[in-house]
Amino acid sequence: MEKTAKSKKRLSTAKELNNIVAQFYLEGNDAKEKGVPVGWMPPMNGAIEIFYAMGLQPVFPENWSPVCAAFGLTPNNFEIAENMGFSRDLCGYLRNITGYIYGDMNGEHVPLGGLPEPDIILSAGGGCIPAMKILHTLERRFPDANIFSADLPQVPVTEIQQYHIDYAVKEMHRLIDFLCQVTGKTMDYDRLAEVVRISDKACELWDKIMSYRKYVPTPFSAAEIGIMFVMVTRQGTRIAVDFLEKVLDEVKERAKNGIGVIEDEKIRLFWDNIPLWYNMGIFNYFEKMGGVVVAETYSAAWSMRLDVDDPIKALALKSLWSYPMVSCVSIEKRKEMVLKACKEFKIDGAIFHSNKSCVPITMGQSDIRRALEKELGIPSVVIDADHMDDRNFSIAQFQTRVDAFMEMLLDSSHP
Amino acid sequence: MRNISIKKFKEALDNKNGELSSLAKSGKKIIGYFCTYTPIEIIHAAGFMPVRVTGDAETLSKVDAHVPNFICPYLRRAFESGLNGQYEYLSGIIQGYTCDVACGLIDMWKENIGGELFHTVPLPYNDNADSRKYLSTAFEELDLKLQNVGGQQIYSNIESSVALYESIRALMMGLYEKRYKGTLPLSGSEFHTVIQTGFTLSPEEYLKMLKKLNADIEEADTKSNTHTPVLISGSIIEEPIYLDIIEASGGRIVGDDLCTGLRHFIQTDTVGHDPMERIIDRHFSRLPCPARSRAVERAHLLMGLTRQSGAKGLIFLFQKFCTPHLADYPVIKDMLDQQGLQSIMLEMDETGAMEGQLQTRLEGFFEVMGKI
Ligand code: SF4
Ligand code: SF4
Repeated sequence: MEKTAKSKKRLSTAKELNNIVAQFYLEGNDAKEKGVPVGWMPPMNGAIEIFYAMGLQPVFPENWSPVCAAFGLTPNNFEIAENMGFSRDLCGYLRNITGYIYGDMNGEHVPLGGLPEPDIILSAGGGCIPAMKILHTLERRFPDANIFSADLPQVPVTEIQQYHIDYAVKEMHRLIDFLCQVTGKTMDYDRLAEVVRISDKACELWDKIMSYRKYVPTPFSAAEIGIMFVMVTRQGTRIAVDFLEKVLDEVKERAKNGIGVIEDEKIRLFWDNIPLWYNMGIFNYFEKMGGVVVAETYSAAWSMRLDVDDPIKALALKSLWSYPMVSCVSIEKRKEMVLKACKEFKIDGAIFHSNKSCVPITMGQSDIRRALEKELGIPSVVIDADHMDDRNFSIAQFQTRVDAFMEMLLDSSHP
Repeated sequence: MRNISIKKFKEALDNKNGELSSLAKSGKKIIGYFCTYTPIEIIHAAGFMPVRVTGDAETLSKVDAHVPNFICPYLRRAFESGLNGQYEYLSGIIQGYTCDVACGLIDMWKENIGGELFHTVPLPYNDNADSRKYLSTAFEELDLKLQNVGGQQIYSNIESSVALYESIRALMMGLYEKRYKGTLPLSGSEFHTVIQTGFTLSPEEYLKMLKKLNADIEEADTKSNTHTPVLISGSIIEEPIYLDIIEASGGRIVGDDLCTGLRHFIQTDTVGHDPMERIIDRHFSRLPCPARSRAVERAHLLMGLTRQSGAKGLIFLFQKFCTPHLADYPVIKDMLDQQGLQSIMLEMDETGAMEGQLQTRLEGFFEVMGKI
């Protein structure tokens, strides 16, 4: 197996995803040309729905990073960032995007036309330090952009109080006022309500799709998790909903007909932490031993419903939930979620990606592992790697650990 | 000439675990904190004693089963100390959300070490009427949480708690002023010991000691020192050895931008009708940590601090893996370079084994500076 490899996909709808990805980036460049204001922002908050409702173009630098990884641009981006003095110990998303914007950003070799330059830069406040610093780095590179610093409270989801919600609601209004002011556009609140309804529909579809993975054999694995692209970049648009409906149909069909990822699904696995974007193929690695990665923590970031009757509050709550649910803000909640998922998805073993590039998601893994073993008797293995930087990933170590782990699981499943 | 002795501070620091354990046994609740953004005045006003969690563990073994080896040595050591039972006297930990590691560790502390109160105050970034009101509500929430574990209502004591910490800060700022003028007769590590002691003593006791130190200093002669004046910027420094190495290599520390330094003690001209408003005002007007500000903004503040302290250059002394500082560093360095200000960046890893190498790099740095 290669150190960098693409995953093998089984869903035919996954092939359509390539077009959706290309379409999104082309649309961004097109919008720029047509003078539609372009805003760069972190994912997992309510700004995306606000942008789509106002006819503005959102760009997600964090999401561009997996694209860079898939197209092999990352090493060069890292080199540029590291030469600027950005430590190798910093999150790979931060280093990658920094190298990208300070390098040959829209050069000929850059796929999909690259990213359109920002007219607006939005940082969230809530979320991790690297996510905030990514946007700060952009501000310096694009000094003409209009800057908006949102101030979303960082609270464990279990401790959200009315005053956090009230403040987040105010931030949503402040953002809308700012966008109206710098773009000259207005907010049509009926349109926003519609966008939130569509966004909620995507969440509903997302949960339904994920729930079919409870079937044995599971109709699709983490190798297809790229479908979350539409949740990151297209939430609030018909594109997301139309795509997810197709995925749901296909997944439902496969589940009903008992079509699994592999012929003989012996071991059901859980994946914690971000995938290795430069090597999605490792999700297929388990298959030769009858293992399938059935569920993962990351997908929980969109597992929520939005109150369509109160769109602004819905977006405020989404902003308060989405990031903390998968990070170190709510380790207790994350543990509860992982345990619940492992039970419901009939998981035999879990893989914990100890991610050098992401401290927030790596913190707390040991407690979750222990609880899994103690409360559910589910064993796990730790893989040392990095979601962006393949220099921190040893394929040999991965294989040795996974092989031993799989053998152990196979032995215990056939007493 | 009178010699300044910081023996009392050193002793207090050395005996802190014993003292704090007996204090806890006598029924006083002690609350830990990692970060200087923790509103210690509120904890104190609730009748509890705030104490900074330090990373005392010298060898690390237990911690590897809990946290990755790519988080800052400070928190790895602190957690190891906790797992070793050193912090049995703590009733819990309260912090302000600053960095991600501290945020995660508070949950892990609760799970693996235990205590009755663990809380992260969700601090706002922006300064406006809404954010001030929001922070005030966040402090009310903290007050309630403290009451739930036996704290007094803070409102009867908050005035005196704030005044107490303001007096400490005023004295410390006086020492900083002397340091800027070159009239502070304490070495870098001596001053550091004075600071560290403040994290573990009751503020009443510490204030007394500071007053005495201040009086002694008034009468002392200044040590003349021709070494190159430098400013140190970073997060936590715990081992004074690093400061000794800087001074042994040709530097004289005249100022700092540290969590274990100016950023903890900085006193701003706070405004407000009541003490809570003053705490809130200080939150927004203090010298910010990189986790709560932009690198560009901090670069300007650091340049100001360099001028104010008379430093000729900056030493960035970072805990290895400290994301907030590492993320800001390239921008700040670039802006300093543009102003012709010399700087060097050093990382403290958990082995501490790089002392020799550190000294060589620093000597080179001071040599270059001497030629400018
Ligand atoms: S959550 Fe992790 S991966 Fe995402 S920006 Fe923060 S540190 Fe990087
Ligand atoms: S040293 Fe850095 S990483 Fe460690 S607690 Fe402080 S800010 Fe966080």
